[in-house]
Amino acid sequence: MTPVGIEAVNVYAGTARISVPALFAGRGLDPARLGNLMMDNRSVALPCEDPVTNAVNAARPLLERLTPEQVARIEVLVTSTESGIDYSKSVSSYVHGYLGLSRACRLVEVKQACYAATAALQLGLGYLASGVSPGGKVLLIATDVTLVDEEAEYAEPAMGTGAVAVLLSDEPRVLTVDPGAFGLHCYDVLDSARPGPTFDIADSDRSLFAYLDCLSNSFRDYRARVEGADFATTFDYLAMHTPFAGMVRAGHRKMMREFARTQPAGVDEDFNRRLAPALVYPRQTGNLCSGSVYLGLASLIDNAPIEDGARVGLYSYGSGCSAEFFSGVVDTESKRAVAEMRIGAHLEARAELSFEQYCELAAENRTCLVPERDRRIDPERHLAVLEGYGHTRDLLVFTGTKDYRRTYEWITAGPRRPAAEPENGRGMT
Amino acid sequence: MNPISSNAAPSRTAIARAVVEAVTEILPAVPAAEVTGHRHLKELGADSVDRVEIILMLLDRLGVELPLSSFADLPNLDSVIDLLHEEGGAR
Repeated sequence: MTPVGIEAVNVYAGTARISVPALFAGRGLDPARLGNLMMDNRSVALPCEDPVTNAVNAARPLLERLTPEQVARIEVLVTSTESGIDYSKSVSSYVHGYLGLSRACRLVEVKQACYAATAALQLGLGYLASGVSPGGKVLLIATDVTLVDEEAEYAEPAMGTGAVAVLLSDEPRVLTVDPGAFGLHCYDVLDSARPGPTFDIADSDRSLFAYLDCLSNSFRDYRARVEGADFATTFDYLAMHTPFAGMVRAGHRKMMREFARTQPAGVDEDFNRRLAPALVYPRQTGNLCSGSVYLGLASLIDNAPIEDGARVGLYSYGSGCSAEFFSGVVDTESKRAVAEMRIGAHLEARAELSFEQYCELAAENRTCLVPERDRRIDPERHLAVLEGYGHTRDLLVFTGTKDYRRTYEWITAGPRRPAAEPENGRGMT
Repeated sequence: MNPISSNAAPSRTAIARAVVEAVTEILPAVPAAEVTGHRHLKELGADSVDRVEIILMLLDRLGVELPLSSFADLPNLDSVIDLLHEEGGAR
């Protein structure tokens, strides 16, 4: 079977952030809980951003590193999102145009909370490995926005916004996925959901418990398929869906208790060595939904001392619920491929917001999925934040709707923004 | 630390004692006298990660195998003790 896997990965997590301690202080949350949350910052969107712009802004830098011939081989564009913009028209249909992909391409959107991207990844890899179109590529983009507000209490500081673009092919520079090495677990539960375009519902215990039960059960299924698999010794590293980093730490402890019978001191050492590198970026963004495990993988590759042939165990969970434990191999080439995207520098470049700025943006952001026939959003209102972003780069921004069609335009963000367009009479400072 | 023999079903009293031990171990600021049956772990100041740690500790020490999801809807510690007692007795 042809080796297949992840050729490239890139992350877009907004141009702004708020520190989690600042959000705790602003909301009057108990700072004693920061320790178990283990989150440092969360990404904050602008009202001129939506699931389409996040997806395009994650994927475009990745595509710019490919030749036109390579881009033309993208035969499937999948968006994975729980932030749909229409019951019928996919996010991918907008994204396809702004990325300039070939028209000989399949467009589709998948949904299963924070798991869907992994289902799409496995289906995409199956397509690539089948040999029906040698050299073909699948572009998978997990993209979401957060709608939580102060009513979510301790969940609010943990929810992020952004997208992770994952290019799948038979040139798996980032991760060669172990063929047939997977474990599954799913059942019907209402642990968290998004019943409408402006709000989420969540039962924190039910969701946390389902995540942890599914982790054990999906690994059991993996072990049943992969002879000799052992949680403590088979995987040099681990990357998991990260609703918040403290939950991943709790999951790791549970697994070491159940499958390794390790004493607490050994558990902490194991966590720091095998899993903590995968939490560096998630701790800076908040939960990116189905992109989260791939953000964790990028974080791991950038932050762990990876040598040739290190095996990574990956855990993907989506409320509702569906979960998968699978694995792949990374090496020094993976480090080169991920480093090219400068993901850590992007996260560092986000403008830091005050609590007051955050509240103002968050209230407006919650309207981004609401269907409106005609709407105008002026990106110029957010120039101060866009200029506070530390890198100069082109960004797609959401400018509203016209007869239900969503409209977008390209702008330049960052400190060395060209002079203001004179016709609108507004300066850049 | 765990006085409960693995080949005998623990009594309800022993389970209640194990609950107090687990709660005060994970939440050192909570006096044992406050860990009473009608209270929920949330009221005692346990966040979601603390709640997981307490339940996993109890399952481990009592030798009971149950999905965590079984504990999602329980209204108070008495119902936690009842569940552990039923499952422990059923081994």
